[in-house]
Amino acid sequence: MNKIMYLEFERCIGCRACQAACRECGDHDAKERNFVEYVDFTESRQTFPMLCMQCKDPACARVCPANAIQITEEGVVLSAMEEKCIGCRNCTFGCPFGIPKFDFETNKMYKCDMCYDRTRNDIAPMCASVCPSDAIRFIDFEEMQQLRRKRTQMNLVEGKKPQEGNKWDYVPEFFGVYTDSQS
Amino acid sequence: MNQYLVKEGVKNQIRKGEKLVSTHCCYCGMQCGMHIRVDEKNNKVVGVEPRYDWVLTKGKMCPKGVTAYQTIDHPDRIKTPLIKKNGQFVEATWEEALDLIESKYRGLQENYGKDAIGVYGGVSMTNEKCYLVGKYARVGLGTRYIDYNGRYCMSSAAGGFNKTLGMDRGSTLPWTELEHSDTFFMAGSNTAECHPTSIQWFWKAKDKGAKFIVADPRETTTARLADVHLDLLPGTDAALANGIMHLLIKHDYVDHEYVRERCNNFEELKEMTAKFTPEYTAKITRVAEEKIIKAAHIFGKSPRSVVMFARGAEQQTAGVDNVSLYTSMALLRGQIGKFASGVATFTGQGNGQGGREHGQKADALPGYRKIANPQDVEHVAGVWGIKPEEMPKEGVSAYEMFHLMQNKTIRALHVICSNPVVSSPNINYVQDSLEKLDFLVVNDFFMSETAELADVVLPAATWAEDEGTTTNIEGRVIRIRKVVEPLGESKTDWEIMSLIAERLGKGKYFDYNEPREIFDELRLASKGGKADYFGVTYEKIDEQDGVFWPAPTEDHKGTPSVFQERFATEDGKANLAVCDFKGPSEVQSKDYPLWLTTGRVVYHYLTGNQTRRVDFLMEQCSEPFVEMHPELASRYQVENGEKVKLSTPRGEMITPVKITKAIRKDTMFVPYHWGKKLSVNQLTSPALDPYSRMPEFKVCAVKLEKLTK
Repeated sequence: MNKIMYLEFERCIGCRACQAACRECGDHDAKERNFVEYVDFTESRQTFPMLCMQCKDPACARVCPANAIQITEEGVVLSAMEEKCIGCRNCTFGCPFGIPKFDFETNKMYKCDMCYDRTRNDIAPMCASVCPSDAIRFIDFEEMQQLRRKRTQMNLVEGKKPQEGNKWDYVPEFFGVYTDSQS
Repeated sequence: MNQYLVKEGVKNQIRKGEKLVSTHCCYCGMQCGMHIRVDEKNNKVVGVEPRYDWVLTKGKMCPKGVTAYQTIDHPDRIKTPLIKKNGQFVEATWEEALDLIESKYRGLQENYGKDAIGVYGGVSMTNEKCYLVGKYARVGLGTRYIDYNGRYCMSSAAGGFNKTLGMDRGSTLPWTELEHSDTFFMAGSNTAECHPTSIQWFWKAKDKGAKFIVADPRETTTARLADVHLDLLPGTDAALANGIMHLLIKHDYVDHEYVRERCNNFEELKEMTAKFTPEYTAKITRVAEEKIIKAAHIFGKSPRSVVMFARGAEQQTAGVDNVSLYTSMALLRGQIGKFASGVATFTGQGNGQGGREHGQKADALPGYRKIANPQDVEHVAGVWGIKPEEMPKEGVSAYEMFHLMQNKTIRALHVICSNPVVSSPNINYVQDSLEKLDFLVVNDFFMSETAELADVVLPAATWAEDEGTTTNIEGRVIRIRKVVEPLGESKTDWEIMSLIAERLGKGKYFDYNEPREIFDELRLASKGGKADYFGVTYEKIDEQDGVFWPAPTEDHKGTPSVFQERFATEDGKANLAVCDFKGPSEVQSKDYPLWLTTGRVVYHYLTGNQTRRVDFLMEQCSEPFVEMHPELASRYQVENGEKVKLSTPRGEMITPVKITKAIRKDTMFVPYHWGKKLSVNQLTSPALDPYSRMPEFKVCAVKLEKLTK
């Protein structure tokens, strides 16, 4: 797997299809692991999606006293292992993006696993599959690099550069993880 | 037969013990491709899988689409016929229900004539069913009174297109071309929420530098994309379009050769638009002059542009004028009939296009034929096997049918695939009209607000329990596949209509074993008409990703782009619109000093009878709200989340406030997906467009009151 999740915040139309679709993933127990929020509804309808960054050195796994959060060889950070998770919720406090969620009924954390059963077979995760505006994409690393360059070019063509007052429009437009090669 | 269609190299996840069935969503006109997951053991629907290779939507879905499958095996489904006894519904057998319907229908028609029964159809169902509703009314019941919910949806677009272009196909171009367009002029459409998967094409174009002009009283999610947002006052589209055309002429952006060769009325249009200077236009629309000028220059300079509009511009008393004027903007620029350019309306309902072509409308017969035209009647009567003189005359429009219920001209009504006590304007009157009926039959699979008023509710099958075709937003005929058998004792609408017709002694006209036979009859009935489906077959749909009508012969591949050579008018030329600004039927007054407009939210579809039963969608949006600008809120001293009272002379509602700067300061917005006390249609205006008979949902004068503690 040499693909990355690519987010473009400003394309988000706030439909939350990604959340609905997240529930549809086979291993997700009908619970969504991503979220969509308004930046500030009073000001505008701009929303943004957020999902797991699949950090290389994930804070959630680091703060887990039970070593319950595993990272696959492809770099996907999985939900806590059922038999190891002690329900301490450290991960939910450790993650700077608020990704791990806690199920108080089963006393277990759950989080985005990039639809591991899909992505390991090279099928896009549910959220990226359905996102109507391509705010969430599952693409090759090369394609992502092209998109970044293209975006810079478009901003120059349009004469758009972030100013003091409109920094919100220019929040970093991508992140995600990728593995450099098939390990 | 394999029901799973996939192109080479495209992978789907297919879990063990499951199969996929390829079909399309049941909701809006985008008709997004999807595969439904079915458990092979118990034949139950268990989920959805993206259909990555569907040409228009590429696997993308909105939250309604993702959760659509949840309505199929839903606990609220009506599984047996229900008969109302002493105000309570009791379960009944089909035999009992049909006996009752037969005796009531026969009795009423013997005493009061054939026209005592009305039929109220809908277009959230397949072409086969929509076609059969028209035949059921005219042949099965022999009544002239038939109309459908598309009257509230597409009739002004249809009227405007027919006037200007001579034919009503919602889009003159296939939408896969949209990524190559340079400019989009969108009026009264919040496509990002109402047709979310269309947005991918607009972004593709935008990534290449395309410009967006959006006219809407609210800064919708769609308007956020815009280079120029024309925040016009509701009901002033005619002035805006005239104002833009004034500037197109003034700055010589007119494609003179095209206009000379392909359009009528240019001189008259020039004369009419002369007074619509930016200053005058700005005064009416309250849009800043410089924005109008900027929009006109962007639109005028663009070599390939598409003008698009939706209910915002159409659901007005000047809806037909608005459509004609916006269409004329595209004509002046010589855009219609060319690559990646043209004009399109956003079809709100799943089969809003196909459902309006085949004779559910009071004045129409299949293939856009007219009931007032003797040759058209002769053709269709021939296909149906009746005598031309047996064909009932033209009826009245949907809202006008309620007047006839009030005066007892219509004494019984059969509602199929619709929920008029939520979707109509001025619903207090509509509910009263339905209550005055002697007998009401409703086909539905959930207990809608209309079904609650019925004497007999017949359990209909869902979209996933029947075969058929729909015609999407582009005019592309596509296939809906049967995924599972109808739940419980429910039956498809076409079976129900056939059964009733049989009881009334008309069985021989409704002898169908499967939808394909109905479609084959539709093909003949539409043959030679404007919406010619003769060359459309189920096989061809699968082979070539749908077939665009018209397809007049069996070997015809369909017509993705229309009007390339000539328009469908008598002289082959388009008629430029010469329409003055008339204004909405209601004006602000001392008592009702603010403007109210209505619309959709992304989580719900039409009257919400389906979407209000889906957990995910209700978690996101469970009740209506009123959007207002913080300045307006401050003026009335109301806070975010506080409940306020809205009223018009027709009704009132109490609803929480949502404060945002993304709306005009003098306009409020309420979504319309709820019924009874939560319905904004208690307030909306029933004033009709004189030509299309479309009610003015989008503009009314309203009073806002803070509730006293």
